[in-house]
Amino acid sequence: MIADLLETSIIISILAATVRIATPILLAAIGEMIAERSGVYNMGLEGTMLMSAFTAYIGAYHTGSLWLGVLIAMTTGGLMSLVFGFLVISLKVEQIVTGLALNLLGSGLSIFWLRAAFANAGQTPTIPFFGNVPIPLLSDIPFLGPILFDQKLLTYLAFLAVPAAWYFLFRTRYGLELRCAGENPKALDIKGIDVSARQYAAVVFGGLMAGLGGAFLTVGSAARFVPEMTNGRGWLAIVIVIAGLWRPVPVLLATLAFSFLDALQLQIQGIGVAIPYQLLLAMPYICAILALAIRRSRSGAPAMLGIPYWRK
Amino acid sequence: MTLTERLGLRLEPRAEAKTLDRVLALASALLAALILCGLLFTAVGVNPLSALGALLQGAFGTWRAATETLVKATPLIFTGLATAVAFRARLWNIGAEGQVFAGAMFAYWCQSALAGTSPFLQLPVVMGGALVGGGLYAGLAAILKTRFRVDEVISTVMLNYIIVYALSLLLLKGPWSEAGGFFEQTAKVDPASQLPILFDKTRLHLGFLVALVAAALVWLLVRRTPMGFEIRAAGSNLRALEVQGTNKARVILMVMLISGALAGLAGMSEVYGVHYRVKAGALATYGYTGIIVAILGQLNPWGVVIAAILFGALVNGATFMQIKTGVPSALIYAIEAIILLFYLAGWAASSFRLRRIRA
Repeated sequence: MIADLLETSIIISILAATVRIATPILLAAIGEMIAERSGVYNMGLEGTMLMSAFTAYIGAYHTGSLWLGVLIAMTTGGLMSLVFGFLVISLKVEQIVTGLALNLLGSGLSIFWLRAAFANAGQTPTIPFFGNVPIPLLSDIPFLGPILFDQKLLTYLAFLAVPAAWYFLFRTRYGLELRCAGENPKALDIKGIDVSARQYAAVVFGGLMAGLGGAFLTVGSAARFVPEMTNGRGWLAIVIVIAGLWRPVPVLLATLAFSFLDALQLQIQGIGVAIPYQLLLAMPYICAILALAIRRSRSGAPAMLGIPYWRK
Repeated sequence: MTLTERLGLRLEPRAEAKTLDRVLALASALLAALILCGLLFTAVGVNPLSALGALLQGAFGTWRAATETLVKATPLIFTGLATAVAFRARLWNIGAEGQVFAGAMFAYWCQSALAGTSPFLQLPVVMGGALVGGGLYAGLAAILKTRFRVDEVISTVMLNYIIVYALSLLLLKGPWSEAGGFFEQTAKVDPASQLPILFDKTRLHLGFLVALVAAALVWLLVRRTPMGFEIRAAGSNLRALEVQGTNKARVILMVMLISGALAGLAGMSEVYGVHYRVKAGALATYGYTGIIVAILGQLNPWGVVIAAILFGALVNGATFMQIKTGVPSALIYAIEAIILLFYLAGWAASSFRLRRIRA
């Protein structure tokens, strides 16, 4: 049965699934990378994604518009990260603890709201979800076409965010200032540039991206909201930023590696290879630990990551 | 210029906050949290005061309700203590959640081999197994940190996810599944291994007393032993430890072992004191809630006990509240997080002084 996995159609299906599965994680990871570059460790990604996944679902359900759902999810992510930013940037509360509080909030509030909105917990209504938008001509390329160019709009957006983030961080003045906030905030301050404004912007951007990522989970693929449906994706995004050395392209590669594991797992379950499915599901988390344990390079972390800036 | 500076103000850290300021800041933070929670009740069309009344009645209304609050508080005391010990050393052990599972699973693994023997053999094995299981699982994160430089926040969170699947592997058509059972759970454990009930017609079990003893021991450990000094030093002044020649890796390992062992006891007390089976539903959420409990308890063992009882009351009262008013009891988890956020903000705000600067 292992041989089945090597058939071209199966390979295409695994790789196309990899790209699809990568979408929410990539969106969140790019946002987190920008936030961390400015020196702020947003460990509340999991809760932000979860809450956004929920508001996208309930928003789309009530308005009947998937795009409004996406907008509502981004607003949710932005607001949650604004609360986070206020606590850690303005009030300089411990970033890890605040992030955890955000996770607990997302988890609790989404379940409560779901139960409050639909009395019958077993049968929450489904919503339509985004279909694939094949890109003309490109999607006809053999092999690569169905993998890369027959995906959802949000998927294209996630992949375009990678070069955009690179250009922003390394080729624009604002990107330079933002990186400086994470490396040497004092230098920025001396030049009269507001450090906390850069950090707020980075953190809120991270929240908007996590919101998009969360939205993809419901209006992009699942068509309904299930409690705890992010299932560690926010945490994986944080691992990916570390493993990707805070650089856009390695972050993309790390995301694809984790998503490939997940896609492979789905396919293996699909054709019924006799590996316990729990082992397959635990794989990304086991690999995350291994990836961090064996990584060679440890450079790349912003010098002031997680350390609040005090103006003297 | 930041916004505050444009207003002619500047935030400055204070060396030592005045107690009165602290109390005022925290009281107003909690009041704000309560108002926000009240709005949530209003949003679902329920009068917040009648909901609060139902909550209190469910938590303390009768002798049985009050003991039930303590039953719910017991695992939170353990996980709160586990988190407090680690956070004191500034070790971010987010893994109490998984260590609760590990403690319960290892205790069950040891105890199931002894089923049918005397309680005087089984009970110590159950407790010892929980200490070892939880401790080892946390110790894994310590080794990953000291030997492989994997951040403990990440490793403990990943381990939390992994162990849930490991338990499922053992339970679903696995060696631990109940013969002929439909649910993902073990068979009932030997009555001789179950924690004795403290009062007739209640569910309050020996685990609660063990939790109080654990709090006392943690207090002694932190306040009265060289190890405790190292823990506190690791939290505030790592350099002093290095100068003194303390082995940092050893301190990290010890703290994680103790923290994990405490969390493991939570798993033991839920399995052998309340549910009498190993199943995910009996073990989940206590680790994460324990983090809130530890912070609200100011990482102080007795503070943890008080915060845990408060949260036990919330959880216990919420069930009654749901029956009485129809408010989903899941609201409690949102309320807990809101209280934590406001508490953090209030605490931080009272550490600052707003100074007028020349515009």
